[in-house]
Amino acid sequence: MCECSNGNKDIYLPELCTITKRRMLNGTELFMHLEKDSGEDFDYIPGQFVEASVAGIGEAPISISSSPTQKGLELVVRNVGSLTKVIHGLEVGDKLGIRGPYGSTYPLEEAKGKDLVFICGGIGLVPQRSFIRYALDHRADYGDITILIGTKCHEMRLFREEIALWEERKDMTVMETIDEGHDCWNGNVGVVTTLIPKVESHLPNSQILVCGPPIMYKFVLMALAEAEVPQENIFVNLERRMKCGVGKCGHCQMNEHYVCQDGPVFRYSDLAHVPEAI
Amino acid sequence: MSKPRVAIFDFACCEGCQLQIVNLEEEILNLIDLVDVVEWREAMSEQSHEYDIAIIEGSITRPEDAQKLEVIRSRAKILIALGACATIGGVNKIKNNFDLNEVRECVYGKDAQMPHLNTEVTKAVDEVVEVDFKIHGCPIEGSEFAQIIRSLLVGKTPFVPDYPVCVECKAKETICRYEYNEICLGPISRAGCGAPCPTAGWRCFGCRGTVDDPNVEAAQEVMEKYDLTVDDLKQKMVLFNTK
Amino acid sequence: MSVSTVTKEQFKSFVAALVDSDQNVVGVQAKDDKFAFGELTDANALRLDYDVTILPPKKYMLPQREALMNFEVAGAAESVQPDEKMVLLGVHPYDMIAINQMDELFSQGEYDTHYMNRRNNITIIACDVVTDSKNVFAASMNSATCDTGYDILLTAIGDAYVVDAATDKGQALVDMMSGANEATDADLKKREAVHEKNIAALNKHELECKPSFLPKLLEKAYDHPVWEERARLCYSCGSCNQVCPTCYCFDVQDEVNWDLKTGTRCRAWDGCLLTNFATVAGDHNFRKKRADRFRHRLYRKGKYVPGKIDGQIACVGCGRCVTACTAKIANPVEVYNTILETTELR
Repeated sequence: MCECSNGNKDIYLPELCTITKRRMLNGTELFMHLEKDSGEDFDYIPGQFVEASVAGIGEAPISISSSPTQKGLELVVRNVGSLTKVIHGLEVGDKLGIRGPYGSTYPLEEAKGKDLVFICGGIGLVPQRSFIRYALDHRADYGDITILIGTKCHEMRLFREEIALWEERKDMTVMETIDEGHDCWNGNVGVVTTLIPKVESHLPNSQILVCGPPIMYKFVLMALAEAEVPQENIFVNLERRMKCGVGKCGHCQMNEHYVCQDGPVFRYSDLAHVPEAI
Repeated sequence: MSKPRVAIFDFACCEGCQLQIVNLEEEILNLIDLVDVVEWREAMSEQSHEYDIAIIEGSITRPEDAQKLEVIRSRAKILIALGACATIGGVNKIKNNFDLNEVRECVYGKDAQMPHLNTEVTKAVDEVVEVDFKIHGCPIEGSEFAQIIRSLLVGKTPFVPDYPVCVECKAKETICRYEYNEICLGPISRAGCGAPCPTAGWRCFGCRGTVDDPNVEAAQEVMEKYDLTVDDLKQKMVLFNTK
Repeated sequence: MSVSTVTKEQFKSFVAALVDSDQNVVGVQAKDDKFAFGELTDANALRLDYDVTILPPKKYMLPQREALMNFEVAGAAESVQPDEKMVLLGVHPYDMIAINQMDELFSQGEYDTHYMNRRNNITIIACDVVTDSKNVFAASMNSATCDTGYDILLTAIGDAYVVDAATDKGQALVDMMSGANEATDADLKKREAVHEKNIAALNKHELECKPSFLPKLLEKAYDHPVWEERARLCYSCGSCNQVCPTCYCFDVQDEVNWDLKTGTRCRAWDGCLLTNFATVAGDHNFRKKRADRFRHRLYRKGKYVPGKIDGQIACVGCGRCVTACTAKIANPVEVYNTILETTELR
């Protein structure tokens, strides 16, 4: 390193990690488990994201899906672009560059002793899983845990085995719905907001954690407003183009907030004057 | 892994974009190391029906060309349109402003009605078959061609700008033609060329087509600010941007 | 640290010696009928009487395109840290203030070694404005003069310069100037007069409020019609971003070499006015409308960036965006004044 950097590290330099497990969750979502080549463990808090890169292809922000209570780092990558397509082609043993973790976290401490309601739309389940697993690993610290999961169609459902295990547990409630009905599906049909009335009595005193595609927030937040949930109790996990992850490049900015620094997890009441947020 | 097989074809064009590839000189040796060129009329005599990547120069102006192109498409995994004639129709589309019989007579005189001189409305390649990637420009920029090919070879979607030429003019500190009240197509034209024309004191001719979302509604009001008219602007667009 | 006076001839000899040394010297030179910062190879080419340069000197701290790291494809990367030293000659006060802001933005929070190493390797010889440009409004933004950031500040007084060394690096250069005498009270009075003149003259567009009022003003302007009125002519060409001394948004791209085994990760200027600046994977654009992008720039300058740097307004009044905008809609003063005029009425 150049001596004139005053001992500062290059904030853009990724650390090499090895893919130790990989499997497809559905037709487009790849699940990966990573370990650092340095042998150190990852240090993060649920809600944060990393910048994942394949040198030569590019870099993109990816939500962390694992909980720091377990070893290694788990990411889920949707095959939507150039980089993610290449990542989908990687095998166990291949390398991924990782920078981070970056950004704000779920309110792990503040939520202690309180009921948690997770509202997840599509791949919104991916970062929520980090806090869900953390809460389950610290089960005594939290009140009731309710998880509402909406997916576009049966084929797109994520973490099916894990959800099945959650459903078996007596100490949590899981409700799933799919937008479009399917022969192999006996459960709820409709968007995730249709599940909200089923847990309505629960809502005003819970910490509500919402993550999903841009269009989902509007409707979920409207339903929560109708249920008279205080905005201070709602946390949203937003997606933007967090190119640098360190508050410089400007791409993820929404009004005065840099999502990579002030987010991705925001308390909804803090977004009252952030019209670009939702 | 076996090398990707590449075939280069040309339709209605001046073959200048292929020449730009040849002009890569030493770099072309790198390219030849990485791919098997199995057909390239301009540079070799061999032909092949088996290829992974087809590179198409030129526009489509005859029914038999459209058929030939469809066959190429069916054989290629990746089809690349090379240069303005292929990507946007380019100068060949000037013809589309006229009656085709007139065009034929103007060019071929008394032979105009001979069947092999049949001509149709000029089309860009993507108006006939699906195009995977476009390498813009008249002619193409050699370094951009190289960048796009290298990107494809490592399996990544090549970077093709969707911002106007002004971005590259400003980065090079080229003085804007509008400062001299001259029309330039830069504000609506796709960048990637490095703005050589404005840098040399010319206007941008728009050879890479427009950006995806050009502000056409603004034209009249903005031109008036320079004592110019929309007709002035449209006239300059005929060369490369006829529909 | 000293304040001295040298004749312009003596100063030119100093520049000539600097150019002849092994130092990398960059200065303002004519480019057709405009001016630009460029490598200086002839002291006679230096034009400290320039009005404004096409691009601000930020291109030496944050180049249009720069390597961040070299890598093995799908493998490890090695940081590329710039270490070339440079003397930068002829930075105007408004650009100096912009550089000071950028220094803060790139060093606060996560320290950007790429920017900061370039910056720390540059010795800045700033100079007070001699000729006002056609669109400058630095006086409205309190940046017609500056008092920090430079190593040396030059002020032309008649056929001499007042040379104000502000740092050890600057003093070392002043020590090389033969003929430098301690500035007299008369010289300093003349310098004061130059400053007063510039505070009055560098104001071709007059902001009708103190710049420090802008964050408050913009709190009320989010849904103002001015955004749509102006942005409907916007070409989304990003020229206003590109020429701005305080725009620093960037994109990062990987380039692969012909061996397909090695390459370079680069960063390049980007601009929030460009159509796809806020587009994420899957093609959702979070700032799809021209008016939204247009507003974002003016909010960054007047509210958002100030929130990160202790209230300093991130428009320094260089007027470059006013000149560069083909649609003639970018002038921040016109926008802010329109809001001022119509918001007070409400």
